[in-house]
Amino acid sequence: MTTETLLQHASELLAPFAKASNNPESNRLDVQITPGDLPAAAAALSNASWGYLAAITGMDLAPEINELEALYHFCDKAAITTLRVHLPREDQPEIPSISDKIPAASFFERELSEMLGVTVVGTPDPSRLFLPDDWPTGVYPARRDFKIEDAAPVPVVRKTPEPGRVGNRFVVPIGPQHPALKEPGHFEFSVDGEVITGARMRLGYVHRGIEKATEGRNWIQNLYLLERVCGICSHTHASAYAQGVEKLAGVEVPPRALAIREFVAGLERIHSHLLWLGVSAHEAGFDSLFMYSWRDRETVMNLLEELTGNRVNYSICILGGVKQDIVAEHTETIHKSLDYLEERIRYYLDVVTTDVTFLQRTRNIGTMSLEEATLYGTLGPTARASGLERDVRVDAPYGAYSQFPVTMVTAERGDLEARFVVRMNELLVTCATLRAIADNLPAGDIATRFPRKVPAGETVSRVEAPRGEAFYYIKSGGGDSPVRLKIRTPSLCNWTSVLNKVVGHQLADVPMLIAGMDPCFSCNDRMVTVHRKDDSSTITWAELRKYGIEKYKRG
Amino acid sequence: MKIGSMFKDLVVSFFSPPVTEKYPFEKIDTAERFRAKLCFDPAKCTGCNLCSLDCPADALQIVIIDRAAKRFVAHYDMDKCVYCSQCVQSCKFKCITLSNSEWELASLDKDSFAVNFGKDADIATFLERANAPAPEPPQQG
Amino acid sequence: MTTLIALLSIMFFPAGIALILSGMLYEWADRKLVARFQNRIGPRWFQPLADTIKLLSKEEIKPSGLNGILFYGLPIVALTGALTAALYAPVLGFAPIHSFPGDLIVTLYMLSLLTICMGLAGWNTSSRFSTIGATRSLTQLFAYEAPFLLALLGPAMVANSWMIKDISAYADAHWWIILTQPVGFVVALIGLMGKLELPPFDAPEAETEIVAGALTEYSGRGLALFHIGKSIELVVAVSLVAAFYLGGIGNPVVFLIKTLGIVLLMALLQAMLTRLRIDQTVGMWWRFGALLALLQVLVLVLLKGWLV
Repeated sequence: MTTETLLQHASELLAPFAKASNNPESNRLDVQITPGDLPAAAAALSNASWGYLAAITGMDLAPEINELEALYHFCDKAAITTLRVHLPREDQPEIPSISDKIPAASFFERELSEMLGVTVVGTPDPSRLFLPDDWPTGVYPARRDFKIEDAAPVPVVRKTPEPGRVGNRFVVPIGPQHPALKEPGHFEFSVDGEVITGARMRLGYVHRGIEKATEGRNWIQNLYLLERVCGICSHTHASAYAQGVEKLAGVEVPPRALAIREFVAGLERIHSHLLWLGVSAHEAGFDSLFMYSWRDRETVMNLLEELTGNRVNYSICILGGVKQDIVAEHTETIHKSLDYLEERIRYYLDVVTTDVTFLQRTRNIGTMSLEEATLYGTLGPTARASGLERDVRVDAPYGAYSQFPVTMVTAERGDLEARFVVRMNELLVTCATLRAIADNLPAGDIATRFPRKVPAGETVSRVEAPRGEAFYYIKSGGGDSPVRLKIRTPSLCNWTSVLNKVVGHQLADVPMLIAGMDPCFSCNDRMVTVHRKDDSSTITWAELRKYGIEKYKRG
Repeated sequence: MKIGSMFKDLVVSFFSPPVTEKYPFEKIDTAERFRAKLCFDPAKCTGCNLCSLDCPADALQIVIIDRAAKRFVAHYDMDKCVYCSQCVQSCKFKCITLSNSEWELASLDKDSFAVNFGKDADIATFLERANAPAPEPPQQG
Repeated sequence: MTTLIALLSIMFFPAGIALILSGMLYEWADRKLVARFQNRIGPRWFQPLADTIKLLSKEEIKPSGLNGILFYGLPIVALTGALTAALYAPVLGFAPIHSFPGDLIVTLYMLSLLTICMGLAGWNTSSRFSTIGATRSLTQLFAYEAPFLLALLGPAMVANSWMIKDISAYADAHWWIILTQPVGFVVALIGLMGKLELPPFDAPEAETEIVAGALTEYSGRGLALFHIGKSIELVVAVSLVAAFYLGGIGNPVVFLIKTLGIVLLMALLQAMLTRLRIDQTVGMWWRFGALLALLQVLVLVLLKGWLV
C-alpha cells in the first residue's frame, strides 16, 4: 500500500468525525475533531488496524489562540495521521481517554495530563508519571505561562512505610537506586515467595525538561541539547531533529551527508547493541560475556572517535548536513574494524543461542506473542522479536536508507532469547550496510547553507533508534527557536509490555526482563524527602550537601 | 548446546596480556579529530559574535575592546564547554579550532577554567574592565 | 607447654591471624584468576586486605527496630565458626591442630554455621532484599549440604575413618582419590562452589537482583567480620577437598599448589557459567548432585563389601 492510499483510507475512516482535515505534508493527514468524538475516532483507526498510536503531543496555543491542543499521532508505515483536539484554556479541561481500546495510550495520557493540565477522563492510571510527588498542583510545565519559580516543592507527608508486608503482598522495590538499574527508575513488585504477582512503576528520575528547554534556545543550539537526551542514541536524536528542521526549512541535504549520517547511525547501533548485550549478560550473572562484549565495543568507540571526534555525543550532524567527512584514509580502518566486529558478533550470536546456562535464563522467559506486542504498542527489536514488523528504516525510509536499505530482522518466539537473536542479527545486517556505504559514498558536499530563521510550519520526523522509533513533532513559528518540540522516545512505549509480562515470572527474571527491552530512562533534578523518626520534612540538595559535609567535619 | 561456550576465549585470554590501558602510566594518542580544549586566534576575528550566539553551553563570549581596530578578546569557560565544535562551524573566518591533545583539563582550582584569548594588552584591558568597581548609581535629586 | 603452643597455633599460626591473612590471599587469587580469564588486570595483591581494613574503620549503621544482640552478635558467631572449623583441617600445609574421631562432620557443620548465621542475619534485618537473600541462602544450604557431605564421605569410607587427619594421611599414601572416584570429585567441586556461594551459585547474593542478599543492611565491622569469615571458609573448604581428592597435604608447598589448582578450576567455572536461578540451583542439586553422590557412595559400599 502506498502512503497516499493509506492516507486516503484513514481519511475515509475518520470522515464521520472530522470537523476539518488537510494534508500539511505529502505523508501526513491532519484531522480536527471534537473532544467528544475522540474515543470513537481512535477506535475507528484501531479497529481497522490502521497503524499504531505513536505519540500524544500537548500544546498550549497561547498567546496567539487562547486554547490548548492535544494531538494524537497515528503511524502506519510512512503515513502519519494526526487527530487534533482543541480544548478550552482553563485549569483541567476534560478530554476522554482512549486507553480502553489502545492500552499503549495510558503512559502518554499520564504525561499529557500532568504536563498540560488536562483531565483525561477514564484513564486507568491518573497518577503522575514524570513529575515528582512534591511538585505543586496547578503548575503545568507545558503551558506558555509556566515559570520555574512557581514550581517550589510542596512538602509531602508520608506514613512510615511498613517493613515488607503491605496487606497480603510482600513488596520488593527495585530502584531508584539498585545495582540492576543503570539509570534510576522505580519499580514495585509484589511477590509471593519468588513469584511476582503485581508490578507498578514510576519514571521521571532523570527528567530534565528538555522539551521546554528547546523553546528558549535557537535552532542550532537545540541540536546539541537534543543530542544529550540520551548517551547511547544521541545521534538518532540529533539526526531526527535535523531532519525535521531541514524539512521545515525546505533545505535539501546533499546525499553524501545523508550517507554519512546513516553510517554514524549504523555505528551507533553496533555500539548500543553491544552495550546492551553486556548489560543483559551482567544482569543474568554472566560476567564474562559482559566483559568481552564491552571489550569489543571499544573497537566501535575508537572508530567513532576517529571519524567524528568523540566516542559518545558525536556532534556530527549540523543543520544542512554533517561536519566531518569520511575520507580515503579512513576506509582501511573502517573495513578492519568491521571485519573484526562481524566476527565477534557472530561468535556472540553463537554464545547466546547455544550456551546451556545462559539459555536457562533466557529461553521461554518473558514470551510475548504477536498479539500482545501489537496491543501494548511495543517498538523496536523488542517488537520485532515477537514477529511484529515495525522498523522505520524499512517502513518509511528516510535519509540515505532508500539508497542503502536495510532488511528487517524478526524472530518468531518472542522470548528473551529471541530478543538477543534479533539484536545480534540486526548488527550483522548493519555491518553489511556499513561496508556498502563505505565503499559507495556518493560524491559531493557534506553540507549546504541553512537559514538562521526557519519558516513557520509543523512537521513530524521519525527515525529508528536502536531501541525503536524515535518520534519528533516540531512546530516553528518562523523565528529563531521552535515553538513546540515533542520528543517521544521508544522506551516509553515498551514499558507497558514489561509491566504486563513480568507478572507470573520469578523475581530473579525481573532484571533480565527489564533489560530485555533495552530501557533508556529520562531524568529530573529531585528534591530529597527525609523521613526522620518524629517528623517528616523536605530538605534541598544544597542543605543535604551541607549536612553531609558538616557531619564528617565534627568527627 | 554447549556448556561453557566461551571456554576458548577464556583460556586464550588467560595466556594473553590484559587489554586494559594502564592510564595514567600509559597514555594512548587521541584521534586526530578529537575535540578538546578550544583555541582562539584573535587576528582573524571580526566580532560577528556568531560563535557565541550558537554556543549551546554559553561557554564563549567575544568581548569587544575596540571594534574599529579589530581588538577582540574571547572569554572561554572550559567547565561550561561541551566540546561540540559548533563554534568551529559557525566561525566563517576560521578563528577557532579545538585541540586534539589538551583534554586532561581537570583541576582543583575553579578559577583556572576561565580562559581568555587575545593579545596580552587586550586581555589586560578586559580584566581591568571586568574587575573595575561598579559605577555609582546616579543620585536622586 | 603444649597448651601454650596450642594457644599460639590457634591465635597466630597456622590458624588465627595467619589463616585470616591467607584467606585474603586466596580471595585475591580467586578474583585475579577470574579477571585474567576475562582479559582484565584484576586487583592488586593487597586489595582484600585493604577492603577489610576499610570496612573495619567505617561506621556501622544499625537499622532501627531490630534485635541488637543478633545484629552485632551474628557476625562474631559466624567468624568463630569459620575459625573453629580450621582447627581440624590441614590448613597451610600443617597437620591439623587438633583431631578427634568425627571431626569431619564437625568441620563441615562449623562451616555451615557461617551460612546459617548469614541467613539469620538477613532474616533479622528484615529489609526486603535481605529477607529474600536469607531465604535463598538457606534454601541453597539445604540443597548442596547433602551431596557435598556425601562427596566427602567417599574418601572417608575408603580411609575407614571420620578423622580428617587420617583421611588426609591415607590419601597421601595411596593413589590420588580423584582418579578412583572422579564422580565424587566433580560433586565435591560443584558442592564447594555452592557452599562458598560462588557464581554460578551466587543467587543468594545476586547483586543485580537483590542488592547484596542477606548482608544488604550490614556495613562497617559486621560486614568485615562476615567477609573475613567467608574468605576463611574458602581456605578451609578448599584445603579439605584438596586433601581428600588430590592426594593429601603434607607440607606448605604442596598445600599451595594443590589448593591453588582447585581455585583455578573454580575460577574457570565462575567465568564460564551464567548464574543459576535459585529454583534451578535446587533442582540441579537434588536431581543430579544428590543422585551422583549417592551413586558414588553406593559403588564404594558395594566394592568395600565385595573386597573385604
